[in-house]
Amino acid sequence: MLAVEKLKERFPDEIVKVFESAGQTVVIVRREKIVDILRFLHGDVELLFDHLADLTAVDWLGKKTPRFEVVYTLYSIRYKQYLRIKAQVPEEDPSIDTVTSIWKTANWFEREVYDMFGLVFRGHPDLRRLLMPKDWEGHPLRKDYPLFLEPEKEWPTYKELREKTRELARYDWYPTLLEREKSEGAASEEADHGANA
Amino acid sequence: MAAGASHNDLDRFGIIFRASPRQSDVLIVAGTVTKKMAPVVRRVYDQMPEPRYVIAMGSCACTGGVFKTYSTVQGCDDFLPVDVYVPGCPPRPEALIEGLLKLQKKMRSEHGRWGAFR
Amino acid sequence: MAQTLEIIKKQQGEDQWDEPYYVNMGPQHPSTHGVLRLFLELDGETIVRCDPVIGYLHRGVEKLSEHRTYSQAMTLTDRLDYIASAANNVGYCLAVEKLMGLEIPRRAQILRVIVCEMARIASHLLWLATHALDIGAMTVFLYCFRDREWLLDIFEEICGARLTVSYPRIGGVRLDFTQEIIDELYRFTDEFPRRIPEYETLIDVNRIWLKRTVGVGKVSPEEAVNLGLTGPSLRGSGVAYDLRRHQPYLVYDELDFDVAVEFGCDVYSRYRVRMKEMREANKIIRQCLDLLKECEGEPVLADEAPDLLMPFGKVKTPQAAPHPKRGFVVKGVEVPVVPEGEVYFAIEAPKGELGYYIVSDGTGHPWRVRIRAPSFVHISALPALSEGQMVADIVAVIGSVDIVLGECDR
Repeated sequence: MLAVEKLKERFPDEIVKVFESAGQTVVIVRREKIVDILRFLHGDVELLFDHLADLTAVDWLGKKTPRFEVVYTLYSIRYKQYLRIKAQVPEEDPSIDTVTSIWKTANWFEREVYDMFGLVFRGHPDLRRLLMPKDWEGHPLRKDYPLFLEPEKEWPTYKELREKTRELARYDWYPTLLEREKSEGAASEEADHGANA
Repeated sequence: MAAGASHNDLDRFGIIFRASPRQSDVLIVAGTVTKKMAPVVRRVYDQMPEPRYVIAMGSCACTGGVFKTYSTVQGCDDFLPVDVYVPGCPPRPEALIEGLLKLQKKMRSEHGRWGAFR
Repeated sequence: MAQTLEIIKKQQGEDQWDEPYYVNMGPQHPSTHGVLRLFLELDGETIVRCDPVIGYLHRGVEKLSEHRTYSQAMTLTDRLDYIASAANNVGYCLAVEKLMGLEIPRRAQILRVIVCEMARIASHLLWLATHALDIGAMTVFLYCFRDREWLLDIFEEICGARLTVSYPRIGGVRLDFTQEIIDELYRFTDEFPRRIPEYETLIDVNRIWLKRTVGVGKVSPEEAVNLGLTGPSLRGSGVAYDLRRHQPYLVYDELDFDVAVEFGCDVYSRYRVRMKEMREANKIIRQCLDLLKECEGEPVLADEAPDLLMPFGKVKTPQAAPHPKRGFVVKGVEVPVVPEGEVYFAIEAPKGELGYYIVSDGTGHPWRVRIRAPSFVHISALPALSEGQMVADIVAVIGSVDIVLGECDR
C-alpha cells in the first residue's frame, strides 16, 4: 500500500510491525514521534488522510508486553482507503502526545481514553473525565477492573444516596424496600449457616 | 413517546406531559438509570409536591435489565419508592397505558396515605 | 430605554454588567433528546462557551460485551441507538463476519438492506418529529408518528419486536419474510412518497421555520471534516461522504440511488438532506423488493454460520456433545470461534458513520469491542457549532445534528 511505503521511507525506525488483518492494513509504531507521523499522513498530497474515524485504546493485560495500544483509524475521503496506526504505550509510563493540533475531533476521543484506561495525553487542552462522574476512582475498561462493583467499593455519592433513602424509607407508605432488605439479609444468613453446617 | 402520540393517545385518559416537576403528579422513570444520574432523578422526585407517584418503565428501570455493570443502578427502587412497575424492553405503548390505568386504580383504593383527608 | 440602562449601570456599578452568566441546561429537560447536560456561559443572550457533560447514560456496554459471546453481544448493540436499532445490529454482524471471513447468502443481504433502510426512515421520522417539536411546530410530531407506527408494526411482523429488533444473526438473518410482509412493504413504498410532501407543506416555506434555521449553526466543509462530523450533518455542508458509495457493503453497489448533498452548511440544509434521504430510502426499499423476487426460496443463513443459541427445534439434551460445525461448547452452550485479529467496519447508520472495532483473541468472547458512535462526535462538535449564537439557537443546532444519548454514552 502506498501509505505504508511512504511511511517506511520517511520514518524507518519508528515502525515496529506492519500486518494485515481481515483485509485491512495495520501499522504498529512506537509512541515517540506519533504526532509527526500523523501530521505527515494528514497533510501529504498523495495520501490525504483527513478523516480521523476513531481513536481508542486496547488493553493487552497478560498477552503483550507494552500493555496499552492507542489505535488511530484514519480514512481518506479523496482516495477512499482506510489505514490503522497503533502506538504502543507501556504500563510504567502511560502517556503519549496528543493529536488535537491536527484533528479537533481527537479532543473528546482522548478524554474518553483517559477516562476509561488512564492514559495521559501530554499537551491536551482539557484532560478530565468524560463518561464517569468527576470523582470516580479507577479506570473502568482496564482488564483488572471488575465488571460489577462490590457494595463496599461503591462510589461515595451513590452510597450516601442509598443510605439516605433507607432512612427516609421508614416513613414510606409501602414498606417494600425495608422488607426486601430484611428478607435478603435473612436469606444470606441462612446461606451462611448452611455453608457452616 | 409513542404512547403519547397519535395512535395511542394519552390525552384521552386525562394525562398531559408537563415540563416541570413542580406541577406534576406522576414521575415516569423511563430507561436505564446510571449512578451518575441517580442523584439527579432523586432531586427531581424531591421537588414534586405530594401526592406523588412513581412509575418504573422498562426492564432497566425496574431491575437494571441486561446491564449488570459498574455504572448501572440495579433498579430505580434502590433510591425511589416505586408504585407501579412496567416491564418490557422496551414496553409497548399499550403496556404503559395499562400501567397508568393500574396506577389510577391504586390511587382510588388508597386511603389516608397523603394525610387525614386524602 | 438607553437612559434607564445608564442609570442602572451607575447605581449597580459597571463591573456587574461584565460578569458572565452561567446556565445549566440540566440532564433533565423537556425536549426528549435524552440525558444531555449543557453547561453554558452566556453574555446576555449570546453563548460564549458551551461545555457538554455526558455520561448520564453510560451503561458499560463495551466492558459488558467482553464478558459475553459474540451472539450475545449483538443484543447489547440493539440498545445503543435504540431508535434505529436494526442498523446497529447489521453493522456489528458485518464486522464479525468480516473478521471470520464468512460469506452471507444474497437473500440475507437484501433483507438486511431492507431492514436498514426501514430503520433509516423510522429514525428520520423521529428526528423530524422531535426537531420540529423543539422549534415549536407541534403538529409535525403527530404526523410523523403516524407513519412511524406503520413502520414499527411492520418491524413487529418481521421479528416480533417494535423497537429493539435483533433481526440479523452472524451469518445471515433470523427468519425469512412472509408474503404478507412483502405486500405490506409494497403498500408502504407506494404510499410514503405521498406523505413526505405533507410534512413539507407544514414547515418548508414557513417563515418562522426559515428564520430559525437558515444561517444557524454554520460550519464550513473543511472544519466539518476536521471536527469529525459524518452522515447527514456532513452532507449538509457539501461533502459527499456516504459510506454506501465509498465502501459499498451488502448489495448497495447494485442499487440505484442518489446521495443527498446540500451546500448551505446550516441547519436548514441538514433538514433538506434528511428529507431527501427519506425519499431515497423509499426508492431503495422498492428496488430491493423487486430484487427479492429473483432469489425466491434461497436460504437466509449461511451454511457455516455459527449455531444460534436459540435453536429452531426442541433441544433434547442442552448439554450436548460438541457440534461438528465451526463452533465449540463452553459450559454446554455453543460459542462461535472467530480467528485472532482485528477489524474496523463502519456502516452508514441514519445518524452518521457507525463503526465497530472488534479485537479478537481466538476464543468465544471478544477481547475488545469498540463502538464508534456518531452522536459522540457530534456532541463534541456542539461547542464549535454554537459559540456566538443565541441560546434559542442551540436547541435548533442540537436537533439538527440528531443525537441520541444511548449511543453517545454507550
